[in-house]
Amino acid sequence: MTLDPITAEIIQNSLQATADEMFAAMKKTAMSSIIYEVLDMGTGITDADGELASSGAGIPAFVGVLDKAVKVILSRHRKEDLRPGDVFATNDPYYGGVTHLNDIIVAMPVFADGQLIAWTANIAHNSDVGGMAPGSLTGDATEIFQEGLRLPAIRIIAGGEAIQPVFDIIKVNSRMPDVLEGDVWAAISSVRIGARRLEELAAKYGAETFRAAVAKFMDFGEAVTRKSLATLPKGTYELNEEQDDGRIFNVKITIAEDRFIVDLRDNPDQSPGPVNACRDGVMIAAQMLLKSLTDPRGPANGGSFRPIELLTRKGSVFDAKEPAAIGFYYEVELRAYDLMWRCLAPVVPDLLGAGHFASVCGTFIGGIHPDTGRQYTIIEPQVGGWGGSAGRDGNSAIFSSFHGETYNCPAEINEARNGVLIDRMELNTAPGGEGEFTGGRGVIIDYRPRADNGYLTVGYTRSRFPAWGLAGGRDGSPNFVRFIPQQGEPQDYAFVSGLKTRAGDLIRVITGNGGGLGDPRTRDPDLVRRDIRDGLITPERAKEVYGVEA
Amino acid sequence: MTGTTIRVATDVGGTFTDLVCFETDEATGESRVTTAKSDTTPPNFEQGVLDVLRKGGVDPSTIGFMAHGTTVVINALTERKGVKVGLITTEGFRDTLEIARGNRPDFFNLHYEKPQPFVPRYLRREVPGRMNYLGQETRPLDLSPLDGIVADFKADGVQAVAVALLHSYANPAHEAAVLDRLRELWPEVAAVGSHQISREWREYERTNTAVLSAYVQPVAERYLTRLQDGLRQESFDGTLYVMQSNCGVDSLGAVSRVPITMVESGPASGFWGAAELGKLIGEPNVLALDIGGTTAKCSLIEDGQVRIMTDYWIERDRTSAGYPIMVPVVDLVEIGNGGGSIAWVDDFAKLHVGPKSAGAVPGPAAYGRGGTEATTTDANLWLGRINRNYFCGGTVIADMAATAAALDKVAGRLGIDRDEAARGIVRIANNNMVNALKLVSLNRGHDPRDFVLVAFGGGGAMHAVALAQELGVKKVVIPAGASVFSAWGMMMSDLRRDYFLTALADMAPGAATGIEARFTDLEDKARAQFEAERIPAGKVRFLRYGKFRYQNQEHTVEVPIEGPVTDDRLAAIAADFHAAYEREYTYRLPAPVEMVGLHLVASAEVGKLTLKAQPLTEEAASSASKGRRNVDYALDGIHEAEIYDGERLKPGMRFDGPAIVEDPGTTVVIHPGNHVEVDAWGNLHIQFPQTEAAS
Repeated sequence: MTLDPITAEIIQNSLQATADEMFAAMKKTAMSSIIYEVLDMGTGITDADGELASSGAGIPAFVGVLDKAVKVILSRHRKEDLRPGDVFATNDPYYGGVTHLNDIIVAMPVFADGQLIAWTANIAHNSDVGGMAPGSLTGDATEIFQEGLRLPAIRIIAGGEAIQPVFDIIKVNSRMPDVLEGDVWAAISSVRIGARRLEELAAKYGAETFRAAVAKFMDFGEAVTRKSLATLPKGTYELNEEQDDGRIFNVKITIAEDRFIVDLRDNPDQSPGPVNACRDGVMIAAQMLLKSLTDPRGPANGGSFRPIELLTRKGSVFDAKEPAAIGFYYEVELRAYDLMWRCLAPVVPDLLGAGHFASVCGTFIGGIHPDTGRQYTIIEPQVGGWGGSAGRDGNSAIFSSFHGETYNCPAEINEARNGVLIDRMELNTAPGGEGEFTGGRGVIIDYRPRADNGYLTVGYTRSRFPAWGLAGGRDGSPNFVRFIPQQGEPQDYAFVSGLKTRAGDLIRVITGNGGGLGDPRTRDPDLVRRDIRDGLITPERAKEVYGVEA
Repeated sequence: MTGTTIRVATDVGGTFTDLVCFETDEATGESRVTTAKSDTTPPNFEQGVLDVLRKGGVDPSTIGFMAHGTTVVINALTERKGVKVGLITTEGFRDTLEIARGNRPDFFNLHYEKPQPFVPRYLRREVPGRMNYLGQETRPLDLSPLDGIVADFKADGVQAVAVALLHSYANPAHEAAVLDRLRELWPEVAAVGSHQISREWREYERTNTAVLSAYVQPVAERYLTRLQDGLRQESFDGTLYVMQSNCGVDSLGAVSRVPITMVESGPASGFWGAAELGKLIGEPNVLALDIGGTTAKCSLIEDGQVRIMTDYWIERDRTSAGYPIMVPVVDLVEIGNGGGSIAWVDDFAKLHVGPKSAGAVPGPAAYGRGGTEATTTDANLWLGRINRNYFCGGTVIADMAATAAALDKVAGRLGIDRDEAARGIVRIANNNMVNALKLVSLNRGHDPRDFVLVAFGGGGAMHAVALAQELGVKKVVIPAGASVFSAWGMMMSDLRRDYFLTALADMAPGAATGIEARFTDLEDKARAQFEAERIPAGKVRFLRYGKFRYQNQEHTVEVPIEGPVTDDRLAAIAADFHAAYEREYTYRLPAPVEMVGLHLVASAEVGKLTLKAQPLTEEAASSASKGRRNVDYALDGIHEAEIYDGERLKPGMRFDGPAIVEDPGTTVVIHPGNHVEVDAWGNLHIQFPQTEAAS
């Protein structure tokens, strides 16, 4: 069989179009605002063996989960037992789920000419999958059993027929059963739409051609990475960094001619709380950083990541053992990512700017909607400031490096749907992030519950140690929540679980400014004056830090 | 001039101003059609319009109906040639415009640049006062800051003001009060409130829409005033209508107040034309494809209805979040693939086509104006699909040496020969377009076999058959005058307004009264607006749509609602939703159904053109033949094709592929095995054996 380059290109383009289509379908049908509005989800396609075949769509940290999940599904089900119309699900990090139990991965094998040719898969954050706390996430968990229902890479649809008892179990375990059911069906619809499109593609060009095109695409991904890797400065770089909780994290990165070695072995033991990551999760962090360094604009697939070697220590915070709790894994993964970024920033300052607010700032606010009497759960990552980079100021108010095509929730929707008040949503003008190129601004959002008996759970990092400045730039400002109750004293939190809230209490979310790049005294004075005019810096501070008179 | 009606459409594009004129004998229904082209004349655009009328021999004083389309709004936006805008918003929300939605589509790129807001922070000002989502005031509006704000805006040289307050979609009273006070303090400033444009929720989208409308308002007003004055000086006393993004035309007065509704008027008129053509030929389900020089646009028309949405963004792509404009725009997908799109090979020997375009200068290599990059047009020319001796209707001598050299560059990098490279370019371009067509059809659960592909624009007819066969549509229809089809569509447009309103309602007994009241209220408003423009209430037709979802969902499915909404009919309406939902998403749920809002279409015919069928000839098509040549059909092989002169084809003629039809504006590529018939209006119907892709 010969594969002409044009046909290969057409099949490869169609993989991306298919992932996009799956994303659009899921976004429109999901019931949780975290999925449809925030787009805390990802879709993608793997080859028959579970290697990522396209960049997918959605959050890159989520797309990176899909290949790992499919591989575990393949290891637990015999290939000859797979049938067209089957659909599988996993949400358990110890069974290919990578993230936490809220994130259900749905995967569907795709067949052509009677052969398995690919998988379509997606992952999305579900509002409640049971466990000890509403929303399933709590800082109090010490074992994964407390974090919700575990789905260990199981079949949920057999040959097109839903296995009803499984759906009944999933539903009965959730505090929001209808929403969970709707979201799982949205995911199923999405993988089915993708599978249909791939079947058409394979029918047109033949299963063998399809497979050859996918294989060639991965080789291409690998070639791109290797070509760019060869231009990076060779050597071994190391960084130790203290965390908000006092732990010291360490990374050693070796850039070799054809390898990118990330060594995370010298790190603390896994935590008794839910602030652990699994090895696959840390691998995603390494994959994302390598992609950003080598080819940020091109497609990513399994081949792109072949040069990575990851070293972890079983039982450590970056490679937790069952049954460690893992609910806030994303902050740990993000710490690993930021650690690698900070380690290499001085080495390749043109490619990597100063640090950003670098936290998902996951904010969970729940209670009863006073107008409808229905339970609501707000699950929101927050936007914050990015660091200054070579030649330009950092962006204000965008999601962390962990997210991508993620959207914040409009105040008008939050007020209508959740029955809270949003008193303000504005840029954070706190000092911090000054430099020749400044860090972008974080935000301040005031949530005010309208009913009693609500709760607040948050888990933010970069609260004690804000975004780091680079090459003389100032550090940014911290991420935290200030709780201002109607009665009692205001209190600041980075981590809190199930804090009781009453009508009229104020939950003020404050996200940090990014770090500055370069000596503030070298900043263009016109830009300083512009920032004064825009109310982003006071004239006094401008004089003190930049030496510029208004 | 008794007995004849003169209808004119003028379309101001970036390079040319187009004219189509129908002179219709009222007694016989026969029309004489004139087309003309002249240069666009910035910044005095009205000059180009007067020029083209003169060139077409049209005396403005004789025109009964004139429809006008223009790119002035989209150009002012993309070239950043609007005015300095000040924004007044709710206390605590001055940064909404800058925070935007926080998304980062170019997610691996750590140097992503977030789009800059159109109003800098110091010109974004706040007033205290709050409405809630139910439209109830929870904190009174305080107008006292306005004096200071206006003084500052004046001092800072602000030329237009946008007002966008929280929840104004539910109750615009505060926003209206701010506007009233603003007009007292500063009567001459251009001002717009977000509720005048949109009654839907999402504060960033609505605020940005108001800001962009204010940004272009003085520019558009100046343009429209000068156009009207220019025409009046030439004794034009007919009615001037302006093409809108919702496929309708609107009066000059209405457009001047909210000019942002013109933003996508160009593509809209073409898609409306496709819808009207579909109805004319008895094919109400149409996939419409418009291929121009730099982009291809497509849209789906079901049962004669264009789909109008308010989820429209400019400058949004894989590398940028773009800017939302929440106005009714025809639902379309646009990709950077047109005749001038450049083919390029990346560092890893992968071939791409577009989105970069050679534009008009230097244009495709074959223009001989110094272009060295191969474009889709060069590939089509090399493959014999475009006639090298009749390039651009014979107005340009094709520089085949330049085309060959440009293709060789591509071929060399791919390690294939020149012919193969040209075929590759056509195949990749086709694949890009097929993916776009799938987005509007298959992706939304439509079966392509139920649709005809109507292709127009300069390049539509060249690619249509290959795309249609891949998609498995019923047949291809190439309209007569495909290259000026947009102007034709304008002539067929109604005076049309789309009203969207966010208003939540459970579909439970007792809900019908409220829903019906909202519809009738909107209908009354629409009638009043039409009557103010001397359109009698009896002439206004309404189409009602409801936007529904399952409880807890966000995104909605739009379902037509016929007749009054009563409690008895709620179940049937919900059933329509379940069915529409399942078609689009493969499943349905036993969950409660919620109504999120209304969409009302109000339209009235204003001087619409009626076309007359021509008698069918028995004459053989061979009389229109101008010879034969070899044509490379890429995957369908190289064949000697019959070449037809499009201007000599007559209604009733029929012939088979392989063939090419050429007229001064278009080349129609007809593949082997295709069968072609010319219908009574001069449109080409191309049929082919159904392919497997359809099953």
